[in-house]
Amino acid sequence: MATVVADPENPESLASLAGLDPNARSRVDSPWRIAARRFFRHRLAAAGLIISLLLILSAIFAPVLAPKDPLQISILDKFVPPMTVGYPLGADEVGRDMLSRLLYAGRISLLVGFAAMLVTVIVGTVVGLVSGYYGGTVDAVLMRFTDALLSFPTVFLLLVLASFVGASLLSITLIIGLTSWMELARILRNQTLTLREADYVQAGRALGATNPWLISRHLLPNSLGPIMVAATLNIANAVLSESYISYLGYGIQPPAASWGNMLNNAQNYFRDAPWVALFPGLLITLTVASFNFIGDGLRDALDPRAGRRG
Amino acid sequence: MTAYLFRRLAQSAVLLVLITAIAFGLMRLAPGGPEAVYTLSPTIRAEDIARIRASFGLDQPIPVQYVKWVGGVLRGDWGRSYRDSRPVLEVIGGRIPATLELAGTALVFAVVVGVAIGVLGAIRPHSAFDYLSTIGAMVALSVPTFWFGLMVIYVFAEKLHWIPSGGRETLGAPFSLADRLNHLVAPALVLGLVLVAGWSRYTRAAMLETVNQDYVRTARAKGIAERPVIWGHAFRNAVAPLVTLAGLQIPLLFGGALVTESVFTWPGMGRLFVDSLGYRDYPVMMGVLVATAILVLLGNLLADLLIVFVDPRIRLR
Amino acid sequence: MFRHHDDVMRAAERVRNGKLSRRTFLAAAAAAGFGAPLAEALTRTAPAAAAAPMRQDPPKGGQVIVGLSQEPTVFNPLKSTLEVDRGVQYAIFDSLWRVDPTGNLMPNLATEVPTVENGGISADGLTYTFKIRDDAKFSDGTPLTSADVLFSHELIMNPDFVPGTRVGHDQITEISAPDPATITMTIKETYAPFLYTWADTYIVPKHLLEGVEDPNTNDFTSISPIGSGPYTLAERKAGEYLTLKANPAYHGPGPYLDTLIVKYVPDLTMLFTQFKTGEVDVTGIQGITADNVAEAETLEGKVINKGATAFVEFIYMNFGKPVFQDLAVRQALYAAMDKDNIIGKVYYGVHTPTQSYLADKSWAYNADLEPHAFDIEGAKKILDDAGWAPGADGIREKDGVKLSFSNSTTAGNKVREQAQQYLQQTWKEIGVDMQINNMPAAVIWGDYFNKSEYDSVMVGWNNPPDPDAISRFGSKYIPAKGGAGQNTCQYENPKVDELLEAGVKELDQAKRAEIYKEVQQVLRDDLAYLPIFQYVFVEGTKAGLTNYKQNAFVPSNMWNVFEWYWEAQ
Repeated sequence: MATVVADPENPESLASLAGLDPNARSRVDSPWRIAARRFFRHRLAAAGLIISLLLILSAIFAPVLAPKDPLQISILDKFVPPMTVGYPLGADEVGRDMLSRLLYAGRISLLVGFAAMLVTVIVGTVVGLVSGYYGGTVDAVLMRFTDALLSFPTVFLLLVLASFVGASLLSITLIIGLTSWMELARILRNQTLTLREADYVQAGRALGATNPWLISRHLLPNSLGPIMVAATLNIANAVLSESYISYLGYGIQPPAASWGNMLNNAQNYFRDAPWVALFPGLLITLTVASFNFIGDGLRDALDPRAGRRG
Repeated sequence: MTAYLFRRLAQSAVLLVLITAIAFGLMRLAPGGPEAVYTLSPTIRAEDIARIRASFGLDQPIPVQYVKWVGGVLRGDWGRSYRDSRPVLEVIGGRIPATLELAGTALVFAVVVGVAIGVLGAIRPHSAFDYLSTIGAMVALSVPTFWFGLMVIYVFAEKLHWIPSGGRETLGAPFSLADRLNHLVAPALVLGLVLVAGWSRYTRAAMLETVNQDYVRTARAKGIAERPVIWGHAFRNAVAPLVTLAGLQIPLLFGGALVTESVFTWPGMGRLFVDSLGYRDYPVMMGVLVATAILVLLGNLLADLLIVFVDPRIRLR
Repeated sequence: MFRHHDDVMRAAERVRNGKLSRRTFLAAAAAAGFGAPLAEALTRTAPAAAAAPMRQDPPKGGQVIVGLSQEPTVFNPLKSTLEVDRGVQYAIFDSLWRVDPTGNLMPNLATEVPTVENGGISADGLTYTFKIRDDAKFSDGTPLTSADVLFSHELIMNPDFVPGTRVGHDQITEISAPDPATITMTIKETYAPFLYTWADTYIVPKHLLEGVEDPNTNDFTSISPIGSGPYTLAERKAGEYLTLKANPAYHGPGPYLDTLIVKYVPDLTMLFTQFKTGEVDVTGIQGITADNVAEAETLEGKVINKGATAFVEFIYMNFGKPVFQDLAVRQALYAAMDKDNIIGKVYYGVHTPTQSYLADKSWAYNADLEPHAFDIEGAKKILDDAGWAPGADGIREKDGVKLSFSNSTTAGNKVREQAQQYLQQTWKEIGVDMQINNMPAAVIWGDYFNKSEYDSVMVGWNNPPDPDAISRFGSKYIPAKGGAGQNTCQYENPKVDELLEAGVKELDQAKRAEIYKEVQQVLRDDLAYLPIFQYVFVEGTKAGLTNYKQNAFVPSNMWNVFEWYWEAQ
């Protein structure tokens, strides 16, 4: 449940957390180059990037890498332990190959992670920019709604929504995405509030530029930093959320595997077959930690003041 | 100050109305209903199901139900549980102490450990300790809580028999503090661990920020010992954002408590919510959501007020 | 953590347990007309002395912790008949007589069970008269009299009250309590399960419940029930446990324990763990799941009780869906069901295969039904011959109907979900596409099931003592078509209708048995459902706990807590 925590009452601190600095553009070197250099100096972030790339590749190439059909049940091989011939990581409760299942499960878990992140970013960006740019009533209404959703613990919302729509890949993606956009929206809104007073935005407006044009040409590009950070952290968040929904019984339907629902099944069996619970849990942790590290690194890299931090 | 307080409270009230409307609508529109437990009864007939639904008021349009519910709440009547027909406030009131005990212990644990790690990390940035603690905190943040809880139960309860596998106390035994602590320690640590990362990261960042400020340098230059410099000058000024963090962590804390309570069969509000969801006990679900939302809003307000006391530079508008 | 979706469902399914035959027997002699083993037993009721435990002076004292995976919440025994609530109600309340594990009725509050022989039942089988024992008291000291029995009936029939059930009580046309010890009643027409109705009607105190403002929600129901039973509710810690203390005023025999604690452990795996570590002494209701049975049997200091139940596991197919209307499809599905491995591997061989909807201990059970043979090639041939040809995607189809459907069960029932996935795979081999669509109990057993919205469900169904099944398979009992029964699979077969109607009119048990054997034969041949196995319940108790008796005739094995005691180790 990684969350971007910022002080909502203090746009300054938000801007710093989000890596925003309106003056960044005035630097000589391209800010993106600087950021990239900074990012790779952050060793944990670089490690996270490598690990997550490996995980993504293994998910993409699951059909090539998986030794077996992940859905093939061999009831006689129930709970075969790891290191058995034909089952490098053992077999699950109906004798499916754990390794193949983990590889394919990665596809679903990461797909949910990325798709939910997209939903989060789109909703969060639109709400944040619109709210911050227009201000007034629009802002008040949108922000009160945002605050209302923020007042529920996410798990509560996830549960209620999941019981509402029933489990499918699409519904789970939407549920996760729709319960996690609020932080981003607030960050962007507060940033936009200050940005819209900036000279070049005022100038643009004076020259007759339309609102959508101003938002997309000036405000959005300036928001890319915090969006990237939020996007990365939200992938981590979504992978974790998927496992929570599965754990609470509203997850992806069998026989398809996600790391979350593998874990959900395994909790009843880990006395007999600890590996069934161990591997998906480790993979979730690894994935979530990797994306969290990347997000951290991005935040530092995009925050101009980070350089001063030792 | 008073005006500020008043405005914040008014805002919170508006929020609560929004929150309850959203929650009420979502729940009532969801498929299934509290009668499902009964509809499978072999001797039940259509008219019985209708009578059950009517006795819960479910035969009326959702907006009417909502207005009635709000009217009841304003009179202090939060309705009665569908399951055991006790007043919702009583049902929830019975669970709040357990949740506060768990969440409070977890928060204290997280603050102490997190702040310690953060300060130490800031004193020696990029040291081995700094790296290891950063990694550790991040991994703790990334572990699925329920999985970690299950592993803890498996190792420490089932294999080592150090702790009980769940619950809040040993049944049938007289009250004993040691027994209560023994039950509390594992779930509180599991829940607290998720929060440690937040605390250590922000403490570290805030400390790094202040350590390099002029007044800290001045203090150092004046020859004040390192320890008072760190705690007296630097940390004191880093506290403000941390207080805000405490307020903002409340929803995370309650969400985590829901999962932790489920894993450790801890009889708190989180598990009450999960149970009530399974039975579609709408009045209790609403009660838990509203109680949580109130705690969250109050927590945020309290955090904002506290800042004034820890950081005299801040004035509330 | 919470497997309680599963729990709710199992609870609900076990409630069917109590399913009483609504059929009436028109026999002049009620005793002769009792068809079910239960009813048959009524004529040979055991004397009160038989209720006493084998040991004359069981040691007193001690405490028992019963772990339940659901939380008992409703204590008014007339309001909830859910098994989880029943367990606690057995400890707090009494009924007129109890059903013992052999199906005998044993008198409790009544001095004896009425029969035609002892004059308790009139010769026409319509009037029942019996006496209440004079030493029965509610735990507040008030004597329990016939007025309380009368009141309990009136409360059930009170239009403002939402009772667990009115079945049985709605047969009563006249009831009166001429003196404190006597109660007499008349029913509309001969009704075989009538004594069973009263065996499951727990007597509540008139002096506490008469005139309460709201009979449905009150402290009596939720926190302070007062009954005449062996234990009284001393403390309720919602979400955690109930503490019951021995009732010293109990009319006996028993209770022998000082304290009975009912602990809520919301997960069956956790319950088993706590049983192992000694945190609970008894695994109640659902007991030990199949995957833990082997380990349970190796535990020292524990007793593992296994008892056959009247529960049968089925695949129900919704005949409202075109795909299931072809017998060939049903035959192929059944032939491609690998029962040996489902029972042997998925369920660890705990349960026994069956071909019937009835439990094998029913007197009407047909043991000669054609056995099931797992035959993938045979299944393919059946479909080939019937014209179901594989399409491009390997899924068969015929006349524009794809051999594709969903199967649902309660989300969270892990072992059943394994069986479901295994079926999905074997059926795929014969060109059948089954998708899994599981949902929480509060959803699946609502409209989805009752209004026949499903394609197919995997469900465990419990049998009442009587073999009658007209409300499950009779064409007039389809709720989706306005019927009042439970025929949600929308099965319609004139032959079955005819047999089932004849079955409820027939008085002679031997003739009824023949009729129901034929019903089973027709249903087996026509595959109105796909029977899988009959459940065996496995429950653990700590060694030394004596008189724990599994009883298939009651919804909870706490039925006889009055006689539980600890044998010195």
